[in-house]
Parts: sequence; structure tokens; C-alpha cells
Amino acid sequence: MRTIHGRSPASTRSARMLAAVAGVVLVTSACGGSTASSSGSGQTTGVTITVALAADPPPAAVLAAFTQQSGITVNWVNIDWDSLQTKISAAATAKTFFADATDVDWSRVGQLGKLGWFVPMEKYIDTAATKADVPQLSSFTSDGHVVGVPYDASFMVTTVNEDLFTRAGITAMPKTMTEYTSALKQLKSKGVSQYPLNIPFAAAEGLSTYWYQTTNAFGGTVLDGTGKPQFTDPGSAGYQAAAWMVDAMKTGLVPPGNINVTDSQGEQTLMAKGQVATTFSDYSGVVGVLYNDKTQSSVPSKTQYLPTPGVDRPTVNLSNPDGIGIPKEAKYPDAAAKFIQWFTSAQTQQDFAGLSGPSKTWSAYTLPSHLSAVQKLATAGGLAQGQVLADLLKTSKPVFAGGAPTWYPKFSNAVYTNLHAAATGSMSTDQAIKAIAAVAVSLSSGS
Amino acid sequence: MTASASPGQGRNRSTTGRFVPMQRTPDDASQVAVRRRRPDLLPFLLIAPVVIFIIGLALVPAGFTVIQSFFTVDELDPPARFSGLNNFVQLFHDPAVTSSVGNTVLYVVIGVTLSTVLAVPMAVLLQSAFRGRSFVIAILILPWALPGVVEGILWTGIFDSNGGLISSLASTLHLSTGTGVLLGQDRLLTIALIELVQVWQITPLSVLLILAALQLIPGELYEAAAIDGAGPWRSFRSVTLPLARPGIAVAMVQAVIATFNVFDQPFVLNGAASTAASLTMQTYYISFQNLNFGQGYALSLLIAVATCVVSVVVVRVVYRKVEL
Repeated sequence: MRTIHGRSPASTRSARMLAAVAGVVLVTSACGGSTASSSGSGQTTGVTITVALAADPPPAAVLAAFTQQSGITVNWVNIDWDSLQTKISAAATAKTFFADATDVDWSRVGQLGKLGWFVPMEKYIDTAATKADVPQLSSFTSDGHVVGVPYDASFMVTTVNEDLFTRAGITAMPKTMTEYTSALKQLKSKGVSQYPLNIPFAAAEGLSTYWYQTTNAFGGTVLDGTGKPQFTDPGSAGYQAAAWMVDAMKTGLVPPGNINVTDSQGEQTLMAKGQVATTFSDYSGVVGVLYNDKTQSSVPSKTQYLPTPGVDRPTVNLSNPDGIGIPKEAKYPDAAAKFIQWFTSAQTQQDFAGLSGPSKTWSAYTLPSHLSAVQKLATAGGLAQGQVLADLLKTSKPVFAGGAPTWYPKFSNAVYTNLHAAATGSMSTDQAIKAIAAVAVSLSSGS
Repeated sequence: MTASASPGQGRNRSTTGRFVPMQRTPDDASQVAVRRRRPDLLPFLLIAPVVIFIIGLALVPAGFTVIQSFFTVDELDPPARFSGLNNFVQLFHDPAVTSSVGNTVLYVVIGVTLSTVLAVPMAVLLQSAFRGRSFVIAILILPWALPGVVEGILWTGIFDSNGGLISSLASTLHLSTGTGVLLGQDRLLTIALIELVQVWQITPLSVLLILAALQLIPGELYEAAAIDGAGPWRSFRSVTLPLARPGIAVAMVQAVIATFNVFDQPFVLNGAASTAASLTMQTYYISFQNLNFGQGYALSLLIAVATCVVSVVVVRVVYRKVEL
């Protein structure tokens, strides 16, 4: 019997059912929806793909030309690097669509390879043939799979303000670390540069890569093939590199404010303004896109790349390229692969670098990852010190020979927080090295 | 049947002039019920979207966070499995987390104190009518409307020791600032300066909350105080401050929440350095850098609990019910 205020068993059942359905819907939505397909559509024409990278888009005309030739429309999303990494992790964990093609940073290759969040690129690209012209492809290989394809050739280089060096009486550019250190002292003692050296000591990734390159210059490596630290002995290259960097700060070769300067800040506010005379571990392409740009720099045509000084002769350079890959949850993986093939081709890279005129030039672009493209640019004179860069690129090598370990982000965090602390004086170099080593040992042993 | 009805509906006038209950059929009864229940549903329908939003976007994820904090959820070490209090134990043994606890306590103490101390006089000033008051309020609210990252970048140019505003001014005025390093060298100075940036952001909302409370105070009370011989300071202490306590309490709670969750300002101004890293930064590193979501959930839960506890303490100490 129905009552006015009570509920019949039927209505109670309905209410419970409704509540249960609502609950399931809410729980499903809160979980981020794990129903997205892990194998997207094979459609390659008449589709719009989302490309998410930490850069402004290439010229609209270039993207329009790609759409006309392929039938694929590109929705370019510019997200800052840190947010991009967060979104990649969050989307992959929740198994939801985020982008059809996105950033694969060299430092996360090991992690991404183990997690299987990206489609192996050997499915779409002849990686063996590509490797001959794109030497940095090896930085994107994990467990035999290519996680991403480098779209620019970033590697660490030494830059110097030749004008300041000359004014300090340094006519022969240093070839060894000893000569380089003497030159720094001479720049300071002659009063040409109060703080001649730029080291970005902010606790951020740029400090870690600076240490890797400096370790390389001292003739060693940071980790061995199994991830064990190679820098604990005071005579080791990694230890000497850390001590050299911290001493440079303590002896006034580095501006005191660099405690909180990041790599890009150091380029823009110190090197480009002539406040420092050199950056030991700078980025390839920076002379052309920043230091020679009169709108951003007060030292145009005064800086140059220097073959990175080593123990007894110039050393090779370590690579840290940017890559692009296809997340497993991409809606149109085949269309994304077509885009990546076009985006990373030698011809497109030449266009981006300015060889085909300003209408196709991508201002955010530094250096092609194809040796042949760099060579063409160097020959055409469209690249500042192109031949030097082409030569450096040929011999550049990955930071970690076997690819970045899966736990690299945590290791890098230990590197930059402890080296930063040593530079501030809150711990000694020895304590910093021991703290970094303890993290490396713990991570490499799986504990 | 407990329902009462209007004279025309539920009762009939008898021949003797007395009202007698009208006989109802079951159909009549259900119609009455339907008429009565319709207006009852309206409030629920109106708040339903908000309730669904809160449940879906806050309570359910919060419930998941609580549950998952007792599981090992590590993308690099699958599958997810129950691990009891292990995540919490690991957190207490992580030097980066324990160091961030101290930093966060400093952020909360400095931020809540400073924002409240600044907001009360500003609200009192804005309570009085003056020309351009609306304009001042509009300008005041700007820092609150700016994203924390933008503020961090803006203040980087002020604090930068290699030619920032402060070091340039000091140089122009021939003032010695030692090494000139403001951020990163000294822990307390670094945290204080970073928190100053956050205070600049959160104080406008505190001002508005306290101003709203001040505007409820009747002018007669100030007149009575003046008749009793109270000067401005005595009026402020004996009338304004006690009656503004509800607003001050709410302002302090929002400051507690904001400072416990400070992220953008230390992240932009001081990077990952342990000198000033906050607990929410550690949550970010643990979750999205190390992909150890279980520990990330556990730390989020601890931050939420700590925020609630401190907020309750603030309310109990500061809040007083005001009846005018």
C-alpha cells in the first residue's frame, strides 16, 4: 500500500538502483575513464591529429602545406615542458587520450621504454637506415625499441665571448680543462670580466646536464652500464667535475647570483648581455638563435662555439635531443606516424632552419637532427658556425651509453639538489657527491 | 495522516457551521501528496548539479586518495597491491619530505600571520568612504587574480641577484648587499621572501573577507563608543576587532589552505632546492617524476589532514559568533 511519506519497496529499490548507477558513473569518471582504446584508428586521411610540444607552432603555411599533401590536419598545442611531462604521465596512467604525437625527452627514454607508454617507432620508420643520418636516434632506444624520433639536434657545447677573451690577452683558445681554467682566471684578474663563467646552479635539470658534460670533459662518465656511480673516488672525473664547478663558484669565477639561475636564464641574462665570458656546457644552436640576434643580445657576432676542452685535447659532446613519439592511447597513430615522418624529415628540417626562406622558417627551431641537413645549411651559410656544429654533431654521443635508466628523473633530482646545496655552502662537495652516490646505489640496486 | 490542509481543500463547513474533516478517497490523498512533494523536490533539484560536481570531482577522488594511499601504486613496479602503512613510513624516512615539512610550517606561519596583519588595517582603511575607493579595491584584487607562476616569474626579476630590481637599486644607491644573493643561500630568508610573494597574492582576498565583516558592524556602536570617550584606537580594539572576528577567522583559514598548498612560487623562484621546497612540490616529484602514485596519494592525504586540523584550530581560537 502506498503511503504519503513512506516509500514502497519498489520505489526504494529504484532509488537504490539509481544511486548504484550514479555511484558507478562517478567512480568511472573519477578513475579517468579507462575505456579508451589502446589501438587507435588506422585512418590517415581526413583526420585531425593533436600534436603537443613545448614550443610555438611552426609557420601556419608549412602546416597547411602538410595538410594539403597528406589530408591530415594538425591541431598544435603548446604546453610548457614541465606541464607536458605531467600530462603525459597522467594520461598514460589513466589510459586516456591526450595527444596523437607528443614530446619524448631523452632523459625519460628509459622510463618510457619500460612503461610501454609509447608506440615503438620502428613500426613506422626504417630506424637502421635513419640512424646513419640521425646519429642521436640511439638516445631514443630502450630495450631495442625506438621510443621517439629526434626532431632537433641538441647537444652540449662550449660557447665563448671571443671579444672578451681577446681583451684579456687570450689569443689561443683553450683546448684542455687546465687551459680553460687558466683563461677564466686571466679574464677575472685582468678585470675584463668580474665573473667570467656561467654555471646555472639553480636546482633544475640544466645543472645535472652541465655536470655530465663537465664529467665527460674530465675524461669519465657518471654511471656505468648497470647504473652504478662512477664518481665517488676523489680522483674520478665526476668528482673532479663537481669540485671544479663548486670551486668556480667559491672563487668568484661564477656570479654569486647564479645560485638561482637556470640554464635558459643564464643564456639570456648573462651570456647574451656580455656579463659572463663563457658557458662551459651550453646548447647547440644558441649562437645563431640568441647570441647573434640583435633584438635579444648585446654581443652579436662576438660569441662562438669552442670545441669542448678535455683532459689533454678537446673532447666529444654529449647529446640531449628533443624527440617526438606516439602515445599508446593516440586516436590516430598511423596519421601521427605520417606527421612524424614529415616533421622529422631532412627536407622539413632544412625548411624549419631557414634554408627555404623566411616563410618556412620556424623561429623556435635550433638545429636539424639530420647530418645531411646540417651540412647543407653549413654549406649555404645559413647557420652560424655551421661547419663547427656539423663536426661536433658527428661525434656527439649519448649521456648514457645504454640509454637513460628508468629511474633517471629521481637520480637527476638528487644531482641538482645536492650540487646546488654544495654551491650554496650548506654542504661540502664531498657530502654532495656521497649523497648523490647513495641515491644512485639505492636506485640501481632496485631498493 | 499528519498533513494539514487549507480550509478550502481539506475541510468542509457542516450545516451547523462547524468545520468537519472532509472524507478523502485514496486518489485524493495521492494528489495531495503529489502537490505537496513537488515543491519539496525543487531545492534538491537546484543543488543537484553542484552536489554531483562535488561528489564526482572532490569526494570520490578524495575517497580514492584515502584508499590508494594504503596501496603500492608505482607505475615502474606494477601491479598495485595493498601495503598498509608502508607509504607513510617511507615518507617519514625520506629526507626531502621531512625537510619540506619544516619549510611548509614556515610558509604557513609567516604567510598566515603576515597576510592577516596586513589585511586587517587595509580592510579598516577601505571601510571608510573616500574618493576612488572602488578603483583601489579593483587594483587591490589584481595580485589575487594573477596565476602563481606569473607572479613567480615577475618576482624573479625583482629578486635576481644578477641585475634584478633590488640589486640594481642597491647598486645605484651605493648600498652594500653583501654577495647580493637573496634566494637560495639562507633558508629562512629564502622562505620569507618567497612567502612574501604569496602573501602579496592571498592578502587581497583576506582584505575583502574582513571588509565584508566590518561592513556588518552598525555605525551606532562607534557613536556609542565615542560618547563613552573611546578614541580611534580604543574603538578599533573594543568594537572593530571583536566584531570582525568571524571575517578574520575565514580569512585566516583561506590563508592556511593557500600556504599549506604553496607550489608555484617556490617552484619558480627556487627550483627544487631543499632550502625552500614545499610539501606539495614533493607530492609532484613523487607522483609525476618518480611515478610512485601510492606515496603521492599518502602525502596528499597527510597535507589535507594537516590543513584541516590547523584550520579547525584557527576557527576555534579566532572565531566568535557575533549577533547584532
